[in-house]
Amino acid sequence: MAAEFVTAVKTSEIPTDGITAIDVRGTRVAVANVGGTYYAFADACTHEQCSLAEEGELAGTTVTCTCHGSEFDVRTGKVLAPPATLPVKVYPVRVAGDALQIEV
Amino acid sequence: MPRAYVIVGASLAGATAAITLREEGADGTVTLIGAEHEPPYERPPLSKAYLRGEVPFDKALVRPSAFYAEHGIETVFGTRATRIDPSARLVELEDHRRVPFDALLIATGGRNRRVSIPGGDLEGIYGLRTVQDADRIRKEMVAGRRVVVVGMGFIGSEVAASLRQKGLDVVAIDPSKTPLFRVLGEAVGQTIADLHRAHGVRTIFEDTVARFEGTRRVASVVTKGGLRLECDFVVVGIGIEPAVDMLGDSGIHLDNGVVVDEHCRTNVSGIHAAGDVANHYHPLFDRQMRVEHWHNAVKQGAAAARNMLGKPVVYDEVHWFWSDQYDANLQYAGFHTKWEQLVVRGRLDSDSYLACYVNDGRIDAVVGLNRAKDVRRVMPLIKARRAVDLEQLRDEGVDLRTLHASP
Ligand SMILES: Cc1cc2nc3c(=O)[nH]c(=O)nc-3n(C[C@H](O)[C@H](O)[C@H](O)COP(=O)(O)OP(=O)(O)OC[C@H]3O[C@@H](n4cnc5c(N)ncnc54)[C@H](O)[C@@H]3O)c2cc1C
Ligand code: FES
Repeated sequence: MAAEFVTAVKTSEIPTDGITAIDVRGTRVAVANVGGTYYAFADACTHEQCSLAEEGELAGTTVTCTCHGSEFDVRTGKVLAPPATLPVKVYPVRVAGDALQIEV
Repeated sequence: MPRAYVIVGASLAGATAAITLREEGADGTVTLIGAEHEPPYERPPLSKAYLRGEVPFDKALVRPSAFYAEHGIETVFGTRATRIDPSARLVELEDHRRVPFDALLIATGGRNRRVSIPGGDLEGIYGLRTVQDADRIRKEMVAGRRVVVVGMGFIGSEVAASLRQKGLDVVAIDPSKTPLFRVLGEAVGQTIADLHRAHGVRTIFEDTVARFEGTRRVASVVTKGGLRLECDFVVVGIGIEPAVDMLGDSGIHLDNGVVVDEHCRTNVSGIHAAGDVANHYHPLFDRQMRVEHWHNAVKQGAAAARNMLGKPVVYDEVHWFWSDQYDANLQYAGFHTKWEQLVVRGRLDSDSYLACYVNDGRIDAVVGLNRAKDVRRVMPLIKARRAVDLEQLRDEGVDLRTLHASP
């Protein structure tokens, strides 16, 4: 299936400066709300697969996987601190009314 | 003027320093010298996923092996440095090569303490520090075989867990009252003992090994308390000692490792140390300390590199480590040797708690079982070195981040 935007969640369900995990067509996606801007990325740390929604601590646009301290930029998925070495996959998002749509 | 940056010890601290030197634009050569044949790799998997055969060795590499050449880092692997001549500014290698340096980093880490116990040189007795050690243990790991784990510090505890997970019959012995007793104390250590027993480890505390018996190979462990433990092999995890042999006549100040200040500098100008080998001055705690943590090796390796480049950064990270055993994630942050109060959030007899080691109303250190986020939230409180409201600290209803905000 080609990637397309899917209405995933109401924006009001994602707390400010928090991360929420949602299921988008069978893919577990983490959505971070950074002061009203939303970023979506795979909900699995590339180090040892901890859930970033559950174990992640968000500070600005950096999520720290608290399992072993890997840090990622939620905008790009880039690794900012080890032990992870591979980026997390990020998904494009857009807001349509009160809904958040994610391209998976 | 281009300079020669030389790093001895090609593991986590050394590799991180080399990478940082390049990232920060070092003008000159960067040479990474290491006794092991493999490119720098992470040790944590050696007692966990790699030991259990769940991840290939490649996954443990700090960087892919081609990285170093691609980034202008010269590597000399499989070669031990034997001596440092601070006045001629040379590192001597075991193959008699001499490597000149302008700035030197000692990142030689530690090596396993040896057991001087009768029978200690029988076959089938293993330590665990390198990937070769892990491979030797892996060969012995067949479900149903009997192993005695000597020492229930972090490495022993993790090995015991991995061996149980692979279906081996595990007996663990330690002279203290509990696992991790020296660091975590009795109350918390007890919870780790319970964890291991719940997973079927037979634990023996307050007893030590008197001798190993067997003809060529170890067949049993006899304790001072008079127990005889039949076994197929033994894993010994009784700690490390800093690797400082090459520094004997160097004039570099040695005391429980290489003594450095908060800039990772030794007493000899231009020579630095970082990682497990470095007994460093920690400004937050106003004392020297040497720790054996992954995080310290990374952060101090990077800080040392910056200082080598003449960018004076103070190394004052709150120390932090994790230990994964079975499905449990144990984390510790800070530094403590004694404590007036142990303030607990949650219950120690449950599978998730946070315990703070408190002196003068201040949190010196924290340990958490399956509380990774909380441990991280306490770290700013440790760094602040201020008294905190202990009732709030204890109260699950209070967000630890708001505790941080209060003056
Ligand atoms: C099995 C295991 C599991 C671990 N798990 C965890 C964990 O879960 N969490 C955690 O926080 N920490 C863990 N650690 C600790 C962590 O791995 C160490 O703190 C870290 O490796 C220290 O890095 P280092 O570079 O300072 O020293 P080391 O890793 O000890 O490396 C030093 C290197 O220097 C080389 N060397 C020594 N002398 C010379 C010489 N004369 N010439 C050339 N080379 C030399 C050595 O061969 C070695 O490669 C674990 C350690 C082990 C062994
Ligand atoms: S699983 Fe995220 S840092 Fe290890």
